[in-house]
Amino acid sequence: MTRRLLPTTVVGSYPKPKWLNHLIGEYAKGKISDEIMEQAYQDSIKAVVKEHELAGVDILWDGEMRREEMTSYFAEHIDGFEIYGDVRVWGNNYYKKPAIVSRVGYRDELTIPEYSSLRTITTNEIKVPITGAYTIVDWSFNEFYPRKEDAVYALAEVINEDLRGLVKAGAGYIQIDDPAIPTHPDEIEIAKNSLEIATKGINAYLGIHICYGDYSKIYPEVLEFPVDQLDFELANKNFKDIEIFKEYEFTKDIGFGCLDVHTRRIESVEEIKTNIRKAFQLVEPEKIYVDPDCGLKLLPQGIAFEKLRNMCQAARELREELV
Amino acid sequence: MEIIPTTIGSYPRPDWFKEYLKRVEGLQKEGMNEIEKGEYKKALAEILNEQKNAGIKLLTDGQLVWQNMLCHLCTRIKGFEMSGLIRYFDNNTYYLMPRATTKLERRGDIIAEEFRLAHEIQPEIKAVISCFTLVELSKDEFYKNKKEFIMDMAKIMNQEVRKLVENGAEYIQIDEPSLLYAGKEDLEITREAIEVIHRGVEAKFFLATYFRDAEAIFPEILDFPVDVLGLDFVEGYEKNLELLREYRVTKEIQAGIVDGRNTKIEGRDDIKERINAILGIIDSDVLYVSPNTGLEFLPYQKASEKLRTMCDSVI
Ligand SMILES: [Zn+2]
Repeated sequence: MTRRLLPTTVVGSYPKPKWLNHLIGEYAKGKISDEIMEQAYQDSIKAVVKEHELAGVDILWDGEMRREEMTSYFAEHIDGFEIYGDVRVWGNNYYKKPAIVSRVGYRDELTIPEYSSLRTITTNEIKVPITGAYTIVDWSFNEFYPRKEDAVYALAEVINEDLRGLVKAGAGYIQIDDPAIPTHPDEIEIAKNSLEIATKGINAYLGIHICYGDYSKIYPEVLEFPVDQLDFELANKNFKDIEIFKEYEFTKDIGFGCLDVHTRRIESVEEIKTNIRKAFQLVEPEKIYVDPDCGLKLLPQGIAFEKLRNMCQAARELREELV
Repeated sequence: MEIIPTTIGSYPRPDWFKEYLKRVEGLQKEGMNEIEKGEYKKALAEILNEQKNAGIKLLTDGQLVWQNMLCHLCTRIKGFEMSGLIRYFDNNTYYLMPRATTKLERRGDIIAEEFRLAHEIQPEIKAVISCFTLVELSKDEFYKNKKEFIMDMAKIMNQEVRKLVENGAEYIQIDEPSLLYAGKEDLEITREAIEVIHRGVEAKFFLATYFRDAEAIFPEILDFPVDVLGLDFVEGYEKNLELLREYRVTKEIQAGIVDGRNTKIEGRDDIKERINAILGIIDSDVLYVSPNTGLEFLPYQKASEKLRTMCDSVI
């Protein structure tokens, strides 16, 4: 694949417009028709795409307007899952934790409608994020499969089926989100096997996004994963993790997370440029993708936009300096 | 032989109370300053009722206003500041890491008031504290000497236990999951710490361990000044049975026999089998049975279903 140097992209989510959140609430109460809700999703995606284009993002996604979060959205569309209710993560934050109650099986198209509808409203390149089988299982209850890996591999087949359809629909860049992997380093073999199943016969550029974990626990093993790119969160730990990656030759492309999504501070163009340059210690500029640490959904929309714009500006300036 | 069903500590919050807390606290707050007592008592009564109706004889207050598991206790102790989010053991649950920045002091009730309110509603309440685990999950930026850190924590917990007993507590559970990952030196310090917690207090003491088998604490644990030893018979079933067989345990046992971290409801026969396996080894008139962990890992409706199945299997 030929690309410009230092292409900019997003990890996935973007703040939902206030009006969309309002409508989602009304829809849940049965006050809005399916048709209007669908229109609202489409319109919100158009707004997000426009913002990404204005910010200068090269490879974009739809901001995950339709996804409430990254486990239950998929669980709700796959056979074998049931959602009983919320479970706390910390403080007053909860998530709908799904339970695997019977054999998992492919039912609804997962990412294909999202991709196809986005394709009609932008000419930019698109990256499609999908949560990995390992992470979905790790963040679910397992009532059915005797062993965790049985559940992971069965789910990886489901993901594979969706990715096949996705590639057929035209997608060329897929990102598997698997943040649970570093939380159980002793299961890295299971995670790797699951990726092999999920990506079997998938002819597309493949990345894996792993965030907020201890990378020393999975590096260099993660270099053996069947993907083209490893996407990491680096700004959050002030780029200290580069030392971990320097210990072994970084043989993949890197998705270089250079915006801290947990702070409202807007990093300056100069600061971001300095930080992106740190990636040159690991790989050639041709192998670097520039993106935020993680999804931007927790930030206020205006701040998310300004951070992205500065990031894209920084990449553009570096690009000019490099050629 | 008497089998007493009990709970470990946390209980999922009722949905309306979750929404209420989000409204008054935002995403995360320390203390319960903004929480109206009336609302808290209503939620408390609800989850005590759930336990009671399921058949639990020795209840816990559900830790309904705790901002996270165990380390919430540190937010009530002078000398701690809270920093970034850290994963709680191997759970998909996080806590704000406490940093000890000055000498620790008890600045007021830690859980004694929550206990009092629960005790008003139901007399048989087990109060839950911790000591070594709080130190282990914190960052020391003051003591530079782990033993001093642990001992200061123990003194504070002793003051708290005295207040609890004043408020009517007869059962005190010290939660120490970190002990299962500790070395022998820490075990010895913790034994001394529990002596301090115990000092001058008339109550029945439980030491609860969970998340894995208890190999790391045997045989030292047998000399700990506690009456009841809590073991996880879900994660460490075979090993813990083996330990009970190998060492003559004269303490009473609190056996975690149903999985507090999985929505799968165990079969009654499986539960009975586990209980019988334990009864076949121990030599005591009482066996406490419980989920292996607090129930906050489960959605609300599943927590009571778990408890009911467990209690029904005991009869
Ligand atoms: Zn992420």
